Amino acid sequence: MTGFPTWWSGVSGIAARQTRAFFTNPALIIPGLLFPMLFFAAFAGGLSDLTRVPGFDYAPGYTSFQYVFVLFQSSMFGGIFIGFAVARDFENGFARRLMLATPHRSAILFGYAAAAMIRAAFTIVFVTVIALIAGLDILGSPGQIALLYVLALASNILGSLWALGIAFRFQSLSVTPFMQIPLFILLFLAPVYVPLQLLSGWIRHVADVNPATFLLEGGRALLAGSAGPVLAAWLVVIIGGIVLGIWSLTGLRAAETR
Amino acid sequence: MGAIEVRGLVREFKKGPRAVDGIDITVAEGEIYGFLGPNGAGKSTTVLMLTTLLPPTAGTATVAGFDIVKQGAEVRGAIGAALQEAALDKFLTGREHIKLQGSLHGMKGAELKRRGDDLLERVGLTDAADRKVGGYSGGMKRRLDLALALLHNPRVLFLDEPTTGLDPQSRTALWDEVARLAREDGVTVFLTTQYLEEADALANRVGIIDHGHIVIEGTPAELKASVGRSSVEIEPHDAARLGDLERTLAAFGTPLTMRGTSASIRLNEGVSDVAAIVRALDAEGIGIHQLRLREPTLDDVFLEQTGRSLEGSGDDEDAAE
Ligand SMILES: Nc1ncnc2c1ncn2[C@@H]1O[C@H](COP(=O)(O)OP(=O)(O)OP(=O)(O)O)[C@@H](O)[C@H]1O
Ligand SMILES: [Mg+2]
Repeated sequence: MTGFPTWWSGVSGIAARQTRAFFTNPALIIPGLLFPMLFFAAFAGGLSDLTRVPGFDYAPGYTSFQYVFVLFQSSMFGGIFIGFAVARDFENGFARRLMLATPHRSAILFGYAAAAMIRAAFTIVFVTVIALIAGLDILGSPGQIALLYVLALASNILGSLWALGIAFRFQSLSVTPFMQIPLFILLFLAPVYVPLQLLSGWIRHVADVNPATFLLEGGRALLAGSAGPVLAAWLVVIIGGIVLGIWSLTGLRAAETR
Repeated sequence: MGAIEVRGLVREFKKGPRAVDGIDITVAEGEIYGFLGPNGAGKSTTVLMLTTLLPPTAGTATVAGFDIVKQGAEVRGAIGAALQEAALDKFLTGREHIKLQGSLHGMKGAELKRRGDDLLERVGLTDAADRKVGGYSGGMKRRLDLALALLHNPRVLFLDEPTTGLDPQSRTALWDEVARLAREDGVTVFLTTQYLEEADALANRVGIIDHGHIVIEGTPAELKASVGRSSVEIEPHDAARLGDLERTLAAFGTPLTMRGTSASIRLNEGVSDVAAIVRALDAEGIGIHQLRLREPTLDDVFLEQTGRSLEGSGDDEDAAE
């Protein structure tokens, strides 16, 4: 009983546990929704005059411009939060049960990541509904919009893999800041409020090579239905997926051989 | 090939002791092996290695025929374990634990439900099954942990101090269950304990570990026979004759430190001496108020092997050494 069916059963069991924990615990749901909403209200509301800045040429408008940011930000942080859950499981010893009862332990990694994705999908729906109410304008084709959400979920996986790699290695809630801070910095150094071409100085140089830039710009291009730097976004997903996949798998190995 | 074969197993912690220092163990299929030792002896470390939760520093071991290092997945599929600290999620109910555990082992649907209900019943948790584990007592948690360990019908079962914190009734129930598993289902059981009576009552074979070394191994009867002879403790009718009693007894064995109103000796010959003792006392006119025959215990074995008493030895005393 150690073949693929068992592996898959383990993945879904772990994902189901995390998902149930999430949906039955308002203390987990509410911050996950409040956060993007506040972001959205603050930026799309307060800063929408930015669209009058010369050179701001995002056809769907500022709400849509910000929507993409909130989408990626909440997807990625959805991945970070699963790192918290894993760190907690290690800290209180529950992870031992998973390590002991799961024949092929990669099921643990995939199970947590799947839970993060389910949760991110829920947040995406929520953010999208809010955005639609706030006047989200969609110019992309249905295919492009589908790709936008695939990209958002892929960035969720990147966030999960990053955080899982840390959680497996350090097995403690005390390192959760190290899961979040690099992501904050990446997002902070990306074109959040204005398009890339309106950034200047050192931040422009950083933003030019920041992987988060490619994701945001690619997502915005898909939403606008324009031929933007979408390929670069996919490259970020693929390369990031390989690098962070190795990072999290070696983290799991580290947890096995402590 | 034994269900558990351990050869030269070592675990050295990075900033700690050589917790397990080259042990050899063979446990036959269907056997209950009692792993006895004081606090800090290395029992849990051994269990963690054999259950693939901790890699050994050196040595090899197979469990259910699979190498614990190279075939971890196969080992995990074949074993169940209830560790010293039950790994439970306080936000999940008992039944949700069963569901999760089952899915980790690839069980599902009606089979899982039937097996889960059956086990919950067997450990007496049917009524509490839908309550969150956070509200369980220590004993309930241990029993749930045991049920989870048994869920997938493991061939080898590891129990790390399974009765610590259980009331006498639950302890007896667990002993019965473990004995039944070995007898009827042919499950091999590796059980660690600090309780001599537990090893004595349950184990077919006992290994005594101290400071990471196995100091002696054998059936409880063999081990007790190795320290030899029984002792007898007699309380006279008339407390004033205690001195006479001691003198008379001295002919039959080595006097032991006695408690208050009675005298005891380690018998030279064994139980056959008792008739002679009674006759001798009768001749002296010393009335017997109470006579207790004491077989050697595993504690005597431990004492002989290590110079310390098992009950209450361990880390605390080590620190004071
Ligand atoms: N993770 C660890 N890091 C460092 N030292 C450890 C670690 N785990 C155990 N030890 C040490 O290894 C030794 C053996 O510990 P172990 O837990 O195996 O003992 P035990 O026989 O199970 O004791 P107890 O009856 O108290 O459960 C102890 O000295 C302990 O302090
Ligand atoms: Mg222990």
